[in-house]
Amino acid sequence: MLLVATACGLPRDTGTTLADVRGGVLRVGVTDNPPWVAVAGDEQPAGAEAVLVTRLAERLGARVEWYPGSESELMAAVKDRVLDLVVGGLTADAPWTKEASLTKPYVTMRTLVAAPAGVRVPGDLTGQRVAVTGGTAEVAALTSEGADVVAVPEVTGDEGLPVVVGEWRLTELGLTASRHELGAADHVWALPPGENGWQAEVERFLLGLSHAEVVRLLVAAERAEAGR
Amino acid sequence: MRMYDRFELPPDKAALHRRAIRLEWWTIVFFATAVGLLAVTLGQSQAMKAAWIEDMLGLVPPAAFLIAARYRNRTPNDRFPYGYHRSVSVAFLAGSVALLGLGGYVVYDSIVRLLARERPPIGLVEILGHRFWLGWLMIVVLLATMVPAILLGRAKQRIARELHDKVLFADAEMNRADWLTAGAAVLGIAGIAVGLWWADAVAALIIGADIVRDGVRTTRGAVADLMDNKPRVVDGSREHPLPGRLLSAVLDHDWITDARLRLREEGHVFVGELIVVPSPGTDRLVERLEALERFARDFDWRVHDLVVAPVSRIDT
Repeated sequence: MLLVATACGLPRDTGTTLADVRGGVLRVGVTDNPPWVAVAGDEQPAGAEAVLVTRLAERLGARVEWYPGSESELMAAVKDRVLDLVVGGLTADAPWTKEASLTKPYVTMRTLVAAPAGVRVPGDLTGQRVAVTGGTAEVAALTSEGADVVAVPEVTGDEGLPVVVGEWRLTELGLTASRHELGAADHVWALPPGENGWQAEVERFLLGLSHAEVVRLLVAAERAEAGR
Repeated sequence: MRMYDRFELPPDKAALHRRAIRLEWWTIVFFATAVGLLAVTLGQSQAMKAAWIEDMLGLVPPAAFLIAARYRNRTPNDRFPYGYHRSVSVAFLAGSVALLGLGGYVVYDSIVRLLARERPPIGLVEILGHRFWLGWLMIVVLLATMVPAILLGRAKQRIARELHDKVLFADAEMNRADWLTAGAAVLGIAGIAVGLWWADAVAALIIGADIVRDGVRTTRGAVADLMDNKPRVVDGSREHPLPGRLLSAVLDHDWITDARLRLREEGHVFVGELIVVPSPGTDRLVERLEALERFARDFDWRVHDLVVAPVSRIDT
């Protein structure tokens, strides 16, 4: 049954998104959220997911049109198929399920407490000074573990303290993971609801990505960002 | 005459009743499994939610039946001098209301989905390294839950007719409603697969309307039973033939010139009064009346608590 169905091009879209994108234009809404997506001025968006979108467009022979905006604006547009896709480090617990169809999570990235060479992370964080990017949810997570939060504009690994980072930064910054995990995010893209043929196509592309490949793209995005 | 008379089903009916209890336990196992399976495959899609809520409501009638089965045979006592037969009628009402509620929910849900022009999204799923569309998996799960619902429903309907058990009958109707909605959901998902966003809601709407009709009918029947209406056959479609047959058999006695029979349903059994006008000068009247009560109770197993009262004439 599956083979026959796939051969007949099922499932199909309720609209015409897949047919329009293939060999046509892919309209992508982007929200700045480095290193997943970095939107700067009039330049083409950068970041791991921007690279992935370009690859998907190549696969389908489509030209990408980028539309930067806030999530609220973009989700309202994707709902009525004005956009074909919204990316920007979205996670599976995003509240947009009424407006958009979130894909199956394609990668899970953990946020951990890690230590640079020569620093030891104790089993209990109570009273321990830990560096973390200010203004993030991890500050609260650390506080609830009783740690002494040192908020920094950007974690570099040179703080001489245990630091909070996404798991993809461990190798790049020469850090060693501790067993303190502050959270894990399942990453998704947002699509117009009911465009099930299009959704199957996008998910087939995303699920073909390995964890290592996504890490590689994130590291490259971090470097490009730092080089600016 | 024994005041507090315990009622037992005839041996063949008791065997059927035990079978019904087993079936109802299986029904509970089945619905609990279905609720679990559907919860896993639900995903973000609204399409299967109705089928899921339904399976939860499907637990009500078998639970009502099993609870009533524990009570119905208890010996009458000072507090409940008529015994506990009515527990079956109460369970029938509970089962009927559940059926009605289910139908109402399905109708409401599909209308809301249609008005909102909601396009159900269904993505891919990965099982044991194979990637395929979640819709196909949903169809397989729905078809799998249909088979036991059909088999259980048919078996119960047959037993319900023989036992004159309306709870069991309402439950069989619930099973029918269940496999019909599952079938509608299958058609709906097939519709989504070919790009018809409304297929699912429309199929559910039609089936929902059918369930509401069934629910209204059984709820009316259950309320009418509690209002002591004339006994009706188990599916409520016509009057039960037993009271009429019994009355003519009573009138066949040569010492009885006129008689009236008033019966009501208490669960499986019929209870009521028989008023007779003995011909003038009838001897051994008390013995005859007692014999008449035994005659009526031997006439059919359903005739249970019957009070026989002699009067000199019946005014109509």
